[in-house]
Amino acid sequence: MENAPHTSPNTPRAEQQFFDDPAMDRLMGTVMALAQEHYVLRDRVRALEGELARTKALNPAALDQEPTPEQRAETTADRSDFVEALLKPLLGQQEALGAPGRHSLKANV
Amino acid sequence: MDERAFAAGQDFLLAAKTFWTTTMYRELRDTAAVRAPQAETMAHVAEVLEKTVLYQSFAWLERHLQRMKYAGRYGLMPYHRERRAALLNTVSGDEAALELDPDLALPAYYTGVDIHQQPGGVWRDDIAALAYERGARSTTPMLGTAHKDLHDRFTDIAVEQGAPEKVLDMGCGFGKSTQPFAQRFPDASIEAVDLSAPCVSLAAHTTQKNQAKNVRFRQMDACATDYDDESFDLVTSTMVIHEMPPKTIDAMLDEAYRVLEPGGRMVHLDFYCLPDAFRQFIYYGHARRNNEPYMPLLAETDLADVLARKGFTDIEIAPFQEASGVDMDANDAWRFPWTVIAATKPAVV
Repeated sequence: MENAPHTSPNTPRAEQQFFDDPAMDRLMGTVMALAQEHYVLRDRVRALEGELARTKALNPAALDQEPTPEQRAETTADRSDFVEALLKPLLGQQEALGAPGRHSLKANV
Repeated sequence: MDERAFAAGQDFLLAAKTFWTTTMYRELRDTAAVRAPQAETMAHVAEVLEKTVLYQSFAWLERHLQRMKYAGRYGLMPYHRERRAALLNTVSGDEAALELDPDLALPAYYTGVDIHQQPGGVWRDDIAALAYERGARSTTPMLGTAHKDLHDRFTDIAVEQGAPEKVLDMGCGFGKSTQPFAQRFPDASIEAVDLSAPCVSLAAHTTQKNQAKNVRFRQMDACATDYDDESFDLVTSTMVIHEMPPKTIDAMLDEAYRVLEPGGRMVHLDFYCLPDAFRQFIYYGHARRNNEPYMPLLAETDLADVLARKGFTDIEIAPFQEASGVDMDANDAWRFPWTVIAATKPAVV
C-alpha cells in the first residue's frame, strides 16, 4: 500500500515528488532555503540598524532616503556584476571549453 | 544558531504557511469549484487538480515547509539539539507525577514513521518532546495563540455530563490535553498515558510546575493499560486516534470500554468528519505529506458502527469548533476536520 510505513529506519527514503520534473522539486528546496536565509539576514540587518539608531551611531532617515544619482552611479558596476552572476546560467553557455550537451553512457540500441 | 536567527527562520516559515493556509488554499478551492463543480468523489477532484501547477506548488509547500520547520537549517530539531544539555536541565527533576517504563516495546506503526515529519518521531530523542511542544504552537497558524482555548473547549464538551472523578487521558503526548482536566477538577484523580518517554516526562514536569497534585503521567500503551476494569468515569484522547492503524484503534476502544465504569463516558477529539470531496482530497494529501499514513483509514472507518458493535451507546460524532470565531460552514481557510467522538458504556450491560 502506498501509504504503508516502511520498515527500514536507517535507509534514507526518497523524498516525495510533486512536480512533473523532480528537478523542480529539488530546485524549489534550494530556493526556499535561500529565501529563508534571506529573511534571517533581513531580520538581522533590521535589528542591527535599530541598535545603531538607539545608540545614535546611525541616522535612520539618512539611511532610508533615496540615493543620489552619484551614489547610484557608484554602485552600477556592482549591480551589473550581481545581475550577470544571477542570470548568466540561463544562457546555458560554457565558461571553459568542453564537451557540450547532455551525456549518456547507455548502450546504443 | 542564535536565538534571533532561529526565531526569524521559524517566523518566515509561519508566514509562508499562513499564505499557504489562506491565499493558496482559497485559490485551489476556487479552481476546483470552477473545473469540477459537480465533483462527488476525491478521485474526480484529483483528476482536475493534480496536474495543475497550483496544486503541485501547494502540495510541495505543505511537505517542505513542515520539513524546514523541524529539520531545516533553522529547524526545531537542530535548535534543540544544540541546546540539549541546558534544555534537559530545565525540565529534569524528581517528577513525583511520572512513571516511565524502559521495557515498554513500542509498536511498529509508531516507530516506522516519523509523524509530523519530526526526525526521530516524538519519542526517539530526549529532546523530542520539547521540539514537539514548540512545534505544536504553530501547527495551525490561523489559531494563533488559541491552542489553549482549543483544549479548554474540548474539556467543556468532555465534562458535559458532570464533573468527572476519575479520568484517563489516552495518548496524552506532552500533557497539553491533560492540563485543563487537572486544573479544573482538582478533586478528580487523573491518569494520563503515552508511548513516548520524553513526552510524559515533559508532561509531568509541566504538571509539577503548575503544582497540580491530582495527575500522574505514565509511559504506557493506551491499548493495553494495567488499570483494573471499571476504573474511570471518563476516558479521553486528543488528536491520537488518527495516528493509529485500524487494529490499534480497535484495541484502544476495547481498552476504553474495559476500564470505563458502567455509565462512564468516552470522549475523543480527532479528525474525522469530511464534508465534501474537495476537503477529502486535501486531507488525504495532508496525511501523506505530513507523515500521518493512517488518517485516511480512520476517515473510511464507520466509527458509529464500530462503537455500537462494541456495546457503546449514546454515540455522538459531531464537528468541533476549535476556536471561537471559526465559522465551520463558511470557513475559507485550510483547517483540520475537527470532530468530537463520544460514547457511553451502558450503566447496565
